[in-house]
Amino acid sequence: MSENIIVFSSEPKKLIYPIGFANILKTKLNLKLTAITIESDSAEELIDKGPDELKLIRNKVIQDQFEDILRKELMGKKTRYVVSSSSYNDTDILARLAGEMNAYMFTDVHDLEIEENSIILKRKVFGGRAISKIKVPNKGVLFITVSSRRFEIELKTQTEMSYIDAIPESRVKLEKVERKVSSGVDISQAEIVIGVGRGFKNKEDIKLAEELASLIGAQIGSSRPVAADYKWIPEDRWIGISGKSIRPNLYFAIGISGAPQHIGGIQDSKIIVALDKDKNAPIFNYADYCIVADLYEFLPVLIKKIKERKTS
Amino acid sequence: MPLNIAVLVKAALNLNMLKVDPNGSVNVEETPLAISEYDKNAIEEGIRLKEKHGGKVIALSILTWGPLQRRNQEIERIAREVLSMGVDEFHLILDEAVLNSTTKETAYIAAHLLKKLGNFDLYITGEYSQDTSSSQFASRLAKLLGVNLVTFVNKVELSNNEIIVQRSTENEIEIIRASLPCVISVTGEINQARIPTLRNILQAKNKPLIKYDLNQLGLKIEKAQMSQEYFVLPIKRKKIFIEGKNYEEIAEKLINHLLEEGVIKI
Repeated sequence: MSENIIVFSSEPKKLIYPIGFANILKTKLNLKLTAITIESDSAEELIDKGPDELKLIRNKVIQDQFEDILRKELMGKKTRYVVSSSSYNDTDILARLAGEMNAYMFTDVHDLEIEENSIILKRKVFGGRAISKIKVPNKGVLFITVSSRRFEIELKTQTEMSYIDAIPESRVKLEKVERKVSSGVDISQAEIVIGVGRGFKNKEDIKLAEELASLIGAQIGSSRPVAADYKWIPEDRWIGISGKSIRPNLYFAIGISGAPQHIGGIQDSKIIVALDKDKNAPIFNYADYCIVADLYEFLPVLIKKIKERKTS
Repeated sequence: MPLNIAVLVKAALNLNMLKVDPNGSVNVEETPLAISEYDKNAIEEGIRLKEKHGGKVIALSILTWGPLQRRNQEIERIAREVLSMGVDEFHLILDEAVLNSTTKETAYIAAHLLKKLGNFDLYITGEYSQDTSSSQFASRLAKLLGVNLVTFVNKVELSNNEIIVQRSTENEIEIIRASLPCVISVTGEINQARIPTLRNILQAKNKPLIKYDLNQLGLKIEKAQMSQEYFVLPIKRKKIFIEGKNYEEIAEKLINHLLEEGVIKI
C-alpha cells in the first residue's frame, strides 16, 4: 500500500492552497493524494487537478462528525500528512486528531522545503512580526494547515470520485446556526484600504472615513474592537491576525494605535499612512507617512483638499 | 450546581517588549513574559461562572520559555496575578525538558496533571496564544481527556449538567449544547478581563501555588529532534512624520506624497 496524503476542508472553496501544498509533497515524495470535503460545485472543480481520490460528504455535518469521518479515513490508510486550510473549523478538526495521535501539527504554514530526512516549514509568529522556521524529521504523521497563495499549484491527474454516506453522530448538539452579517466585499483583495480604530468615538463618526474612502476609491476595514466588540462594521472587514490579512497599495490607518494583533494583518501593504493623536502610538513604527493629529480636525481638512484637487 | 473549573494559562512572550539580536533573530530568553491575552478572558470566564454558580477555579500553566533559573520570579509574579483575579489555586509545571515545547507536549502534560487533580466540569483556554498562535491546545486537550469540546466560544450559559454556548467562526454563529465535562476555548470578545484591586492582590498572597517537575508527575516526554528558529520580519517603512504650520499644509503634503508613490489617483 502506497503512503498517503489526506487533504481536507469543511469548506470546499478553501481547498485550493491545501491541494497545492499537497501537490508539492505528492510530486517530491511520490505519495497518493486523497481529498475529502463537502459535496459542491467547487469540490468538483478539483477533479483531475492533483487528487487521486476525491471523497465527498453528502450531508451537512458539524465538527465532531468531521472529526470522526476524517479519523476513519486516515486510520484506513498509511497516512503521512494531513493538510487543511487555516480556517477556524479546519484547524480545530485537525488538532483533535493530532492530539489523539500525539503527532506534530503546524498551523498557518506559508513556506515548505523538502530535504532528504526532514522538512522545513515557515509560519508567522509573535503577532505576525516574526517568522518561525521549523525543521521536523520527515517521519510519522504530520498535520499542517496552510494559508499562502504561493501554494496555488495544479497537477494533472486522474481523480476517482466517491461519496461518504455513513455519518456518525455528534457528541455536542447544534441548536442553531446563523450567517454573520456580510459586507459582500473582500478587503483582502482591495487596492486601497482605510482602517478605522477606537480613535472614532462613535459609529456615526465613521462617516468621515467613508467620505474619504469614496473620494480615493478605498474600502473600509477596522481594528478588532471596532468590528468584534462594538460591531460598528461587519466582522468580515476586521483587519488583523484573527481577522483578515490585507495587501493593498495603500493602507490608511485612522485612529488605530497599532496593537500587535492588527499589525500582523497589514504588513504586506505597499504604503502605510497612519493618523493618530498619540505621537507614541506603536502604529507609527510600521508606517511610511505619519500624521500626529486629532482625526476629527484633520480628516475634514484632508477631504476638503482632495475635493479641491479633483475640481481644479 | 457548583462547578469545578480548570483554566489553562500560558506565560507568553510579551509582544510589546520583543528583544531582537543584531542578526534579526528574536532573543526569546531576554523577552519578558506576560499572561497570554485571551487566556485572561479564559480566567475571567472561569471566575464569573464560579461567582454565579459556586465551586472552585484552578489555573494550570506550563513554562515553555526559558531559561528556567531566570524565569522563576517572573512566572511567580504571573501566577500571583492570576490568583489575585480570583482563581483559587495555581498549578505550575517547571522543567528544563519542557522548555521550547509545542502544544503536542504541553497538552499531553496538562492532560496528565489535570487527571491527577480530580474531576473537572469545565476546562477553559484562550482561543490561541499571543506568541506562537498555534490554536491547537483546546482541541488536543479535549481528545487527551476524552471529553466534549467546543472551540471559539464567545458566550457561555449553564443549565443543569450542560452548557449552552455561542461559537463564533469566520462566517457563522452557532448555538451549541454540550454536556459536561467539556473543554471550551474562548475568544477575546467573551468578556472584559478584570484588573485585580490592591485588596485582591494582598489576599492572593496566601493562596496555594504548587510547583511540579516532570519527575514528580511520573512523566517522561520524548524530546523531538525538531528545531525552531525565530526571525523578525524586517520593517522597511519610511516613518516620515509629516509636519506643517497647519492641517492644510500637512494635508497638501500627504496628498503629494501619495500621488508621487502612485498609490492614489485624483
